[in-house]
Amino acid sequence: MTVLGYLANGLVFSSIIVLGSIGLSLVYSIADFANFAHGDTMTIGAYTALVTFGAVGGLGGAVLGLPYGFFLALVVGIAVAAVVAVGTEKLIYEPLDVDSIGLLITSIGIAFIYRAVIQIRFGSGFTRFDIQPLRPIESLVPYGVRVTLHDVAIVGSAAVLVVGLHVLLQYTDLGRKMRAMADNPDLARVSGIRTKRVKLWTWVIGAGLAGAGGVFLGLFNQLSPRMGFNLLLVIFAAVILGGIGSVYGAMAGGFLIGMINQLTPFFSNVVEALPIAPNWLETVLENLISIEYANAIAFVIMVVVLLVRPNGIAGEGAT
Amino acid sequence: MSEGALPKRDAVLRVDDLQKSFGGLAATDHASFAVERGTITGLIGPNGAGKSTLFNLISGFYEPDGGTVEVNGIDVTGMEPYQVADHGLIRTFQTPRKLEGMTVREAMLVGPRNQPGESFIKLFATPGAVGESESANLAEAERILEEFEIDHLATQPATDISGGQMKLVELARAMLAEPEVLLLDEPVAGVNPTLAKKLKDQIRRLNEQGTTFLLIEHDMEFVMDVADPIVVLDQGHVLTEGTPEGVRSDDRVIDAYLGGGT
Amino acid sequence: MSLLSDPKGAVADLTRPEAWVLGVSVAFMLFLLGALLTGALGPTYFLFLVGLAGMYALLSFGLNAQWGFTGLINFSVAAFFGIGAYGSALMTASGSPIAGGFNPIVGLVVALVAAFVLALLIGIPTLRLRADYLAIASLGLAEVVRLIVLNERWLTNGSAGLRGIPSFFKGWPVLSTFPETMPGIRLVVIPGSPVILETAFWQASLNVLLVLAFAGAAYFVLRRAHQSPWGRVLRTIRSDEDLARALGKNTYSFKMQSFILGSLIMALAGVFYTHLNLYVGPGDLDPITTFYAWVAVILGGSGSNRGALFGGIVIVTIREGTRFLNDVALPIDPAPLRLLLIGVVIVAVMRYRPQGILPPQRELIWPSAVDGGGTPDTPESGVREQKGGGSDE
Repeated sequence: MTVLGYLANGLVFSSIIVLGSIGLSLVYSIADFANFAHGDTMTIGAYTALVTFGAVGGLGGAVLGLPYGFFLALVVGIAVAAVVAVGTEKLIYEPLDVDSIGLLITSIGIAFIYRAVIQIRFGSGFTRFDIQPLRPIESLVPYGVRVTLHDVAIVGSAAVLVVGLHVLLQYTDLGRKMRAMADNPDLARVSGIRTKRVKLWTWVIGAGLAGAGGVFLGLFNQLSPRMGFNLLLVIFAAVILGGIGSVYGAMAGGFLIGMINQLTPFFSNVVEALPIAPNWLETVLENLISIEYANAIAFVIMVVVLLVRPNGIAGEGAT
Repeated sequence: MSEGALPKRDAVLRVDDLQKSFGGLAATDHASFAVERGTITGLIGPNGAGKSTLFNLISGFYEPDGGTVEVNGIDVTGMEPYQVADHGLIRTFQTPRKLEGMTVREAMLVGPRNQPGESFIKLFATPGAVGESESANLAEAERILEEFEIDHLATQPATDISGGQMKLVELARAMLAEPEVLLLDEPVAGVNPTLAKKLKDQIRRLNEQGTTFLLIEHDMEFVMDVADPIVVLDQGHVLTEGTPEGVRSDDRVIDAYLGGGT
Repeated sequence: MSLLSDPKGAVADLTRPEAWVLGVSVAFMLFLLGALLTGALGPTYFLFLVGLAGMYALLSFGLNAQWGFTGLINFSVAAFFGIGAYGSALMTASGSPIAGGFNPIVGLVVALVAAFVLALLIGIPTLRLRADYLAIASLGLAEVVRLIVLNERWLTNGSAGLRGIPSFFKGWPVLSTFPETMPGIRLVVIPGSPVILETAFWQASLNVLLVLAFAGAAYFVLRRAHQSPWGRVLRTIRSDEDLARALGKNTYSFKMQSFILGSLIMALAGVFYTHLNLYVGPGDLDPITTFYAWVAVILGGSGSNRGALFGGIVIVTIREGTRFLNDVALPIDPAPLRLLLIGVVIVAVMRYRPQGILPPQRELIWPSAVDGGGTPDTPESGVREQKGGGSDE
């Protein structure tokens, strides 16, 4: 595959990561804790869509190779993820009298519960949407780009959702209040913003986006009960790279991490081609910059960012 | 009184041309002053003058953008807080810190420096020495608690005592660290008058016994009563310093307070 | 008040949660005894469970030294457990790609050294970070370790894992042949249900002996280290790090010491696991081990060694209990059921008793310096139950 090909894959994967990282960042800044159940929220969205799509079927037509029924399933997936998140907030997080670390630990328990329920119901194996897999788009193949219409749909839908979020944040009342709360929670409360309300909407939006990300992840890759948790650390890396507390930073971070992740085979080829001086260094680099370590690279970047530039690209401090 | 540079005969703490900006705003703007050994020096100024920032800079919690801090003639600028404390500068905090799960005397025992038992190896290599030092420190802690007239609180959980009592404990604990100079950050904020008087008496008594103090306080009566000299901070730099009467009647000081800080 | 010198008084002195735990534990032990005697529970399997409980208790001790003592949110427990397991396995296993055949004691030493190095590698970048970032970063670095173990086949045998691991007591004078030389014993307590103790049982009892030795050593070290000036500084760091710094304590160094101590103990659990399971694979570095340890610690009570022990037993009960239920009664897969139970326990503890069931109550003062053994004036409940200050005098 050519560089262009890897970049195209990166774009698709980034779309999924961005949907996850925006949601995580929103919850981090407004509910003020690191939500470890965020990955499993994506899983909930994916499996809800699976069930819905299985129930309603194709519904006649299709667009970009995806049946209308799939889009309906997507919407239901988003909705259910949002509902579950709001329910969890009201029933579990809100009544808790603990600090943000206590909430972090609780969210781990919640993550396990989400995942366990899905695993009990669906088993622990892999599964896919019942959609005909497509062949890569003919006109792009000569450029070394192997993307299908499904991938286009993913990128397109993610773009729509992100633009929608941007419009919400910048031009609506709710968006203003959300930004105010993220910037300065005490001031926001004092100036009469109904913080509980805003928090609930944040959960709705954050979880909804995560749910969408989960559905697309299931389409891009496959579904399994661990799919969300496996991606969680990568999403954390994206949020930290972009800067905690900044939604736009999370978008940038998600984009970069997604790209780097999919470009790993390319980097691997580059490293193999380059003559590197000490032989042992060459071996080490060749070993470490390879597909198996794609995720590990993201984690290492995350730790480096925390050490060197804790504000990430756009956010607040880390110590 | 002229700005800042009264030559101090024996300055236990000297701050020279200190600067610190946050996001373009100068919180500390070329501040210079010195604290003479054996005094209770007061640091006052309107809200936003930068008193807390100055404390944080002096004690090492913030790193200055410029200028120097000297304790006993030793340059401690840019050192980590624990290193600054090691040179004899001990500070307290404005809000009393809740120590969960500790009793008062346990909290006190964190004060003394260079305890052999703080070395993990020594716990197993020289337990006898650890035990001896611990006994001595405990006895000293109980003695100080007695002097402060709060020895009855020794085995109480630290979270059980009132905020004012906690401030007394913090002062007592700071003394166990054998400070050259003790920085008190709003020692009587939110404390009832009886306990505030007790704190004042203790500060005076300890000062007579040789401890130098630098304290920030908003309570004007308190500061004017206990401190001399008084340094006035405004908008990050030293406006003036002098005796309580001198400062109280200084027009510039009155202006700074009435005009309202930044 | 010692249970041995004055049992009645000691029992009366217990706080309500302690009494509750004691009651539940006794009932549970009676239940197990009944199952053993009637043959429903095999004695060898029972000892295996005891060994497992000891292993989780060790893991909890280690995490306790980090989170309980100092407030370090370490999510890399699995990595240290794994490095302990792999360190000893790589030295002793016949199938080891880089060594093999060494005495298990050598394996133990190598495992501990490896854990020390890993603790530095993970601790140096992460211990300056604030709590939630430490959590995320430590989880990420643990994943990196797992991926290395999985992929570097030349080093670890990759996904095939390591086999041919000898018993820990290989080469010891009496103990190495103890299982074979001990005669089989046939106990008949309840007529009709004989309890047979043979080689496998004696082997299992050796394992229990081993874990007791490890856990006992760890407990002794932790107990002394905690109830001391060193432990006191750690507790201060946990409550308020700035205060400790202002009083001249090099908190970064203390945090590193606490981190290393805990990591070594976790590696010890891994070493035990190697000689218990006789097989290690990359799956042993799955993050679930980290969260098992966390549940044990927060359930038991952060900072309390007894609580960690209690938590360890609960974990084993959940782990093996779900498997048992699956075999016998419920048609639910044990793995997700376990996950569900763990999740529910975490949420329940945080909701109803965030300080854990047996939160620590000791004053951290060197015992010989205090008369009366250092127990604070407390009403019925523990020190941690007090909330907020009292009224102004």
